[in-house]
Amino acid sequence: MQNKKVNLDPPFKIQTILIVCIIFIVLIFSSQRVGIPDIIERLYESSLDLVGIKNSSKIGEGLSRISKEMWPPVIESRKDINLILDFDSSNLPFNSYIEKQIDKSYEINPNTFLLEEVEEDVVFLIEPLGYLRIVIVKIIESIEIAFWASFISIILSIPLAYYSAKNYTPNSIVYYIFRSIVSALRAIPELISVLFMVLAFGFGPAAGIMALGLHSAGFLGKFFAEDIENADKGPQEALIALGASKWKVLKLAVLPQVMPQYVAYMLYILDRNLRMATVIGLVGGGGIGQELKGRFDLFEYGHVTTIIIVIFIVVFIFDQISAKLRSKLIGD
Amino acid sequence: MSNILLSIKSAKKQYPGGINALDGVNISIHKNEIIAILGSSGAGKSTLIRSLLGLVKLDKGNIFFKSSTPIGNNYKLLRNSISTIYQNFNLVSRSSVLTNIILGKVSKVPSWRILFTIWPKTVQLKALSLLKEVGLQDINYSKRVENLSGGQQQRIGIARALIANPEIILADEPVSSLDPETAKEILKLLKETAKKNKISILCSLHQVEFAKSFADRIIGMSNGKIIFDKSANKLLKADLNKLYK
Repeated sequence: MQNKKVNLDPPFKIQTILIVCIIFIVLIFSSQRVGIPDIIERLYESSLDLVGIKNSSKIGEGLSRISKEMWPPVIESRKDINLILDFDSSNLPFNSYIEKQIDKSYEINPNTFLLEEVEEDVVFLIEPLGYLRIVIVKIIESIEIAFWASFISIILSIPLAYYSAKNYTPNSIVYYIFRSIVSALRAIPELISVLFMVLAFGFGPAAGIMALGLHSAGFLGKFFAEDIENADKGPQEALIALGASKWKVLKLAVLPQVMPQYVAYMLYILDRNLRMATVIGLVGGGGIGQELKGRFDLFEYGHVTTIIIVIFIVVFIFDQISAKLRSKLIGD
Repeated sequence: MSNILLSIKSAKKQYPGGINALDGVNISIHKNEIIAILGSSGAGKSTLIRSLLGLVKLDKGNIFFKSSTPIGNNYKLLRNSISTIYQNFNLVSRSSVLTNIILGKVSKVPSWRILFTIWPKTVQLKALSLLKEVGLQDINYSKRVENLSGGQQQRIGIARALIANPEIILADEPVSSLDPETAKEILKLLKETAKKNKISILCSLHQVEFAKSFADRIIGMSNGKIIFDKSANKLLKADLNKLYK
């Protein structure tokens, strides 16, 4: 038996330990600046509130202001008929009715100079599912934005990917130019680029489509390029040896290999664009977000709840569909 | 020597790290000749074949194809008359059997047809007849090649090589990823089709007995140099000892 001393690597190297310590110190310092202690304090306070030790908390106060008004969700639409142009009471829209309401207000009587209660009849046209219909129309617009944005990003990403793949780009200058375009597109968040697109294309879906399309073209361009670089070299070499030009090699030897992965990326981008399309309306990009922002600013929280529920349902359904499709493609 | 098709003269290639893959290699391939290259791993067999195709740039040396002037960087004519068979088949695994065979004719199919993958009917029929020639007539030709066995895939590799009507087939260890029984069949098929279609073959092999039954001429390579170059029936035990010492 030889008693040789064997040097095994320690489980943690000194560098690892140092890096972890540095990260901890930085986190502790920055937690003061970003208000982490405040979060902890408020959460502690509200948990005391929940179990009944305390009878108020900052979180509870903040949220209770709107939470009472958020329920029930509003699905009917209610319009003062005086605000409807050419209102015809004999020809009401489908499934709608008229409701009279007595509106009480106080006015100064010019004769007595006293404040008197005045009752006024206001007639409302009520459509029981009217608001839901508006929300559905808006969410369809958001879905359309998502599909168009994805379509545009796929078209844009093809040249981006080709010229930013190391083994297909003609030279290193083109490579760096396209790589930086791809990075730049990804670097600008949609919510910011919508602001510029609104200036260029005006308020509405067009701005949203361009902002989402450009941003996701950056993503797809990067993903596609990396897959082209990593594709199996064998078949490509075989085609080169047969005298095929570069793009023929790409079409015949690379694309068939990477296609399932590409379709998975496209589904992911579509999924992501759908979620983002519900948000970009907040800054003028069209779709359901515009409606959401409008209702929030008018303090109509019941409407906001309806919108949030509809968004949730649509995103959930789409998530399920794309997950099924993706597993089918990758499992193939 | 008018019947020389392809030759490589004083070829040198050094890989980074100072490994001499080719060190002054001279080889000529004649019409209707089947040549086997023997040698252990790292002897330079693959580099030789890849350099003939222009997949590896030579440091020094010239390639001549049917003429006394070197081809330089113009591989087009050469690639149009050479087909290659690979150790790992190098088929497009997610494409169909028929498409993979048709790929052999890729340089002659117009671009728009490739863009929409609409193959000419004559090429498709040719591919089907080749499928029969390599003994795969019972196979479903719209099946993906990744579902086939190694032997079947190499048969498709041969069909892909044949569809371009080559004058030379270069084979880079075509049977080393196959079991001995299949390997024998594949080499037999390769030899028969070559003789039938008057094609020359340059084939690198590992197994001496395969080389003896397969080739007309055997070249031994070691450390980038040619150790012997003689006809198969004149091969001596001493030659092999020099090769695998």
